[in-house]
Amino acid sequence: MPAASQDIADLIARTALKDRTAFRTLYDRTSAKLFGVTLRILKDRAEAEEALQEVYVKVWQRADRYTAGHFSPISWLVAIARNHALDILRARRPRAEDIDQALDIADRDLNPEQYTLARDERGRIELCLSQLEPDRALAVRGAYLDGFSYEELARRHAVNLNTMRTWLRRSLLKLRECLTQ
Amino acid sequence: MSMDEDIGEKGGDSILVAEYVLGLLDTGAAEALERRFRTEPELVRGVQFWRSRFALLDSEFEDVPAPPGILAAIEGRLYGNTRPTAFGGWWNNLAVWRGLAAASLAVAVVAVGFNLLRPVPLAPEEFATQLVAALQAQEGSGVEFVALYDSRQGAVRLVSVSGQSVPDRDYELWAIEGEAAPVSVGIVAIEGRSQMPIPPAVGSAFGEGTVLAVTIEPKGGSPSGAPTGPIVAMGPATSI
Repeated sequence: MPAASQDIADLIARTALKDRTAFRTLYDRTSAKLFGVTLRILKDRAEAEEALQEVYVKVWQRADRYTAGHFSPISWLVAIARNHALDILRARRPRAEDIDQALDIADRDLNPEQYTLARDERGRIELCLSQLEPDRALAVRGAYLDGFSYEELARRHAVNLNTMRTWLRRSLLKLRECLTQ
Repeated sequence: MSMDEDIGEKGGDSILVAEYVLGLLDTGAAEALERRFRTEPELVRGVQFWRSRFALLDSEFEDVPAPPGILAAIEGRLYGNTRPTAFGGWWNNLAVWRGLAAASLAVAVVAVGFNLLRPVPLAPEEFATQLVAALQAQEGSGVEFVALYDSRQGAVRLVSVSGQSVPDRDYELWAIEGEAAPVSVGIVAIEGRSQMPIPPAVGSAFGEGTVLAVTIEPKGGSPSGAPTGPIVAMGPATSI
């Protein structure tokens, strides 16, 4: 694990022990990233600020569930921020569900070694996305990075909903093939 | 050809899981999938596969500095009920005041404060150097003051615009000149007004650009003569 990443992992571990100074440092080191996530998905500054507070409350409460090794620590934090922002979007839509709960279950059931990614895999998702048709790669990115729903993606790409579903599912299938090669 | 035939059963589950990770499933479908997690470890591995792969895109989330005050608000939520202890030190003080005054308040301090503070209209010939400072809340403390200084009186008047008292703690006002160490001006009331002479150590240097800051200190003020607690409000003096 790179040094900076190890530092974040240590801060999460100390936060799990309710070390307030560590939590403050963790906030200082990661809040710009997580605010970037909530702001990009929610696209409303006030909502993103409120979400950021809630995200760090969750980080404090769930720090003991972080298992070093299976996920880079910053990705773990991003996942909490992203899922929280998605939950807010869903509440807004409204079709509520709490994806966080299920991901917690998934975390606990996980074998830690499985998802440590080799460094050369970093470029792999980009490579695999680049093999999709550009607008379909854009739709996948929009779903992940902007939290767009099928309805929003369909509107943005000016196709009907079923077409978008088909596009995206086929793209995910291609991605999976590429990523597991 | 249907989607399922197209993708195949195994692929179908994996794609379903990918849609789940992306947040594309509707409530019913997501919940139905979650119910299968406990008995189908393959699905859980699928969730982790997609999460870890998509996480490689995380660098595309650009850093945006969070506005000041967020951390204080978070700490207020988390530690809001903490009580100070005799040996508590900085963090416990912080927890207390933040818990009591978690929300950041935007107050039109200058306009409000100026009218409140001005004792009586002054005749033009009576104008000496007058300075006003809006001490804005720091890190979401919710504590705001307005200060007015009149060189003829050599005194600072301070009125609290917002904020609450903290049990067993006092608010202390400091004057800061450039890089010099803060000089204590005195204990200030959080409810109502305070008036105190500018100490000789500040003296003639007190003027435009002097920063006034309020910290939380032990009862009776900082024992060391230097600030020990967090700054809850701060602002530079401006000539009026």
